[in-house]
Formats: sequence, structure tokens, C-alpha cells
Amino acid sequence: MSGIRILGIGSPSGDDQAGWLTVDALAACGVHADRDLTLEKLDRPGAHLISRMENAGWVILVDAMQSGDPPGRIRRFDRNGWQAYAHGLSSHGLGVLEALSLARALGTLPPRLDLYGIGIATAGPADQMSVEVHAAVRQLARHIAADLATTIPRGP
Amino acid sequence: MSEQRRSVAIHVPVLARVEGEGALDLRIEGGDISELRLRIFEPPRFFEKFLEGRHYTEIPDMVARICGICPVAYQVTAAQALEQLFNVELSPWARAMRRVFYCGEWIQSHSLHIHLLAAPDFFGCNNAIELARIAPDEVRRGLRIQALGNELMELFGARSVHPVGVRIGGFHDAPSLARIRELREKLRAALPEAEALVRWTAGIAVPQDDQAFVSVAMRHPRDYAIERGVIGASDGLLIEPAAFDDHFAERHEPTSTALFGSYHGQPYLVGPLARLNLNHARLPEPVQALLAETGLVPPSRNIFHSLVARAVEILLALHEALRLLDDYRVPDSPWAPATPRAGVATGCTEAPRGLLWHRYEMDSEGCVVNARIVPPTSQNQARIEEDLRLSLLEFGLDHPDDALRLHCEKVIRNYDPCISCATHFLRLNVERT
Repeated sequence: MSGIRILGIGSPSGDDQAGWLTVDALAACGVHADRDLTLEKLDRPGAHLISRMENAGWVILVDAMQSGDPPGRIRRFDRNGWQAYAHGLSSHGLGVLEALSLARALGTLPPRLDLYGIGIATAGPADQMSVEVHAAVRQLARHIAADLATTIPRGP
Repeated sequence: MSEQRRSVAIHVPVLARVEGEGALDLRIEGGDISELRLRIFEPPRFFEKFLEGRHYTEIPDMVARICGICPVAYQVTAAQALEQLFNVELSPWARAMRRVFYCGEWIQSHSLHIHLLAAPDFFGCNNAIELARIAPDEVRRGLRIQALGNELMELFGARSVHPVGVRIGGFHDAPSLARIRELREKLRAALPEAEALVRWTAGIAVPQDDQAFVSVAMRHPRDYAIERGVIGASDGLLIEPAAFDDHFAERHEPTSTALFGSYHGQPYLVGPLARLNLNHARLPEPVQALLAETGLVPPSRNIFHSLVARAVEILLALHEALRLLDDYRVPDSPWAPATPRAGVATGCTEAPRGLLWHRYEMDSEGCVVNARIVPPTSQNQARIEEDLRLSLLEFGLDHPDDALRLHCEKVIRNYDPCISCATHFLRLNVERT
């Protein structure tokens, strides 16, 4: 499969960095950008997310998630699993799920989409990352690296 | 005769980060509107206090935080005010690129508003996702145009949300010729898309409203005013930004923390339709020709023409950006040095939503003593109330509550106030007695 994009979404606030740090942690697991694989850290991309996914065969999205789960709990949603969670649209605060809903309506969702949510409690400016979310970031990076290795056999 | 009494309360929930919350209180008694009050709470007011004591070099980045959609407007207005006070003469390069930077913001903000907020109303859709199902090509085109606007903002601001490129005297950095060449191609390719957008918006059936109102916008002898000019009104007023307080006032209403703007004591309109009404003769010839083709003859008294006005301004912004980038050269320095001095500075530009006015009192060290920022939404607030009253009477008050709510939303969305950022932003609670 070609055209894999790994998108870490976040902001500089505490545990909301989870998506960004997962992208960083992937490097430590030996996952690096090449002709067929791009890694990107996005800061609340809104409708931009749609163009970032365009023409990709497989998109792996990682974002922090406030769901009532304990901090550090990882949830995975496939191409269909997230739809029940989408809310209304707002140009000022177009969230990841709303952007995905719009992409679906436009028929531009990638053939394979893995959305990972890392549970967080709260995230405020200048907050530090929690130990639980830090651990989850490393765990998720290892999982994604293994998934990539299984799906795309790579040369030495 | 028995009195028919119908009470309607419409509430706006808490919205995105800087937009706060608002409500519309509507009471209908005996077939007439006895109370109509739009309340908007605008956190940008707090920024005026945050700015006190801050050094002038910090101001552009701080005011960019007021709005995630129109940060360029706040940056350029603040910079314009302080540059005037400090007698900083922008180089021709910096002057032109400020306008290009601003064009990027108009393109992205207008495209977002048309496709994600306003258009779904006119197709019986609850939101842009539903619209995308029935008009995918148009929504895709809108997102492409919006992305191009963002790209233009990133080019000069390093990022499109809360950009950091502006400094007093110009920009921190100048894009390379290679990047400009690449963008010029994209801008050129977008022209037919924007022309199609103008035709599409002009073909959308909108209510035929006809209301008398005063349009207020910046005016410039040569350009369609965006980042510089004087303040004009459709009754002939033409004043320097420093004279704003002689003609315009803001007042508190007891039920709202937001300020209501007035012009000689009356509501007035700012924004795309006001600009088009005053400045249509300054549009580039191809844009004027397309506007004529649509059948919209400015000045318009129908606020629902704001949709077309935004599309026309997108096309204008593309033409302007192309014109100004045509013979682009990387300058020796992207900024001119500034030496602070004490005094009062005023600045005024056209944010996507309308006139934006800043006033700063500065000390001799270049720090803010006090600041005042008059954003477009507060200026339009009284006009929105007036429009709602007239428009609802025209629409008819006997419609079901949902139809009244939808009509109110449509009217309010014409103004693209910051509260319009949620699709279902009016909650309707009905009391009948």
C-alpha cells in the first residue's frame, strides 16, 4: 500500500500534546518519513484536515480525547467507528470528527483510516504532560510501528 | 377582543473560544413584536486591558489572538496605528504585501462563511455536511479556495491561525521568489473557480428583503479599500479614522455586556455588503463585469445579498493578490526601523466582517497606556436587531417556532457575527399564554 500519512493533532497545552508526541515517539520506534510515508504534527487543523488526508491510501490520526475514560486509555476507531461522536459544524471550532464527517460526505475519506484517541482529563496552557498520557504515547507509538511493519514489509 | 400572547425565548449556547455566548429574546404580543433583543458577549473586550503596559513590539502578536479567523485584520490595524504614530514610512514592498496578506484572510474567511455557515440555509440543509451530500463539487471548490487563502496567510504569517509575521514597520521576513511563483500559479488557477463561485451564489434563491440602512466602510481614491483609506458612509460622510468618535458611539445596554455601535444615534451596517455598496466602482474591471452579469446592482438594500458580496470579494482578493505579486522582488529589508514616541494612535481597516477600529495611547517608552478596539460585530449588533424586527414582520409572525428560529438564524448569519460559528446556534424555547 502506498501513500500512508500519520497525522498527530494537538496543541501546546499539557496532555493535549499527545498527538504531537506520538509522532515524535514514532521516530524512536524506527518509523521515519520516506517516499510513501509522511508524518505531520497539526495544530487544530479544522477543515484543513480534509486536504491533509486527500489522495492517501491509509491515514493514521492521533488526537487527545476527553471522553470520561481515565487519562492514558487508548481507543481506536476505524473508518466507521467514530461517526456517532460527531457534533455540529462550526467554522471557529471545526473539530476532527466534524472534519471527518465532512470528508465522508465529500467522498474523500481515505480507504483505510485509523483514528486513535488518547484519553486525557484536562489540558490548560503551560500544563505539563501527565505520566499516564506520556506512557500511552509510547505504547501507541510502538503499536503503530508494529502495525506498519506488519502491513508494509520494508527492506533492511 | 382576546389578547393573543406568545412569548418566544431564543438562547445562544456557549460557543468557541473567543466568541463567548449570546441570546436572542423575542416576545410577540397581539401579533406584533413587543420585545426583540440580541445579546452578544464579546470576550475581545478583555484584550484591551491585557494590552496595557505591553511594549509596542508585542502588540501585533497579542491582538492576533483576538480572533482565530481574522487575526490579520487585528494585526494590520494595530500596526497601521502605531506606524502612523511613530512616523514609520512603510516601503512600497511592505505596503503591497500587507494588502496581499489581508487578501488571504478575506479569501479564507469568506469561503468558510459561504460554504460552512450561510449556504446550507438556502438548500434546506442543517449544516455543511448535508450540503456536501447534495453539492459536493461546490463544497470541495469552497474548501480549495479557503485553503488557498490560508496558504497566502501562512506565506507572510508563518501560520494561518494566529500568524506571527507582522512587525511594526513591515514583516519579520520576506517569502522567496520561488514560493511566490508557486503561489501565483495557484492564484491564477483559482480565478475561474472564484468566478464560478460568484455565479453559484448569485443563482441561490434568497428572500427579497428591502430595508433602508446606512452602509459604512473604508474608502480609498483608487483601491477597493481593505488595509487603508478613510471612513465613508452611504450618506456622504468621509472622515479620517481619528475622527471616528465624533460620529460613532458605543453604548452599553443593561441586558448585555457587549457594546452596541451607532452612527449619529442610528444603527448602521458594516461588512461585505456595505463595502460593495460604497466601493463597487473600485472593483477591477473583470470583477465589475461579472457582478453586472449576476444582475446585482449595488447599492443593495437586501442584506441577503451579503452572500454574493462575499463571493465577489473573494474574486477581488484573488485579482489583487495576483496584481501585487506580479513583479515580486525580495526586498533588502522586509521592515523599516521604528522609534517609539508618546501619543495617541488610531488605525482602521476592513476585517472580513467589516470595519475594525483601534485606538492606542502610548507612552514615550513605546508601551500601551490604554487601548480601545471596536470590532465589526459590535458595530452591526444594533443593525442586526433592527433587521430582525423588520425581516420577521415581513416574513410573518404566525409561522411555527422552528420556522421563526430558522429565519432569525438566516438573518443573523448574513452579518457573519462571531456567534454564527455554530450551526444550530439559536435554541428556541416557547411559552404560550
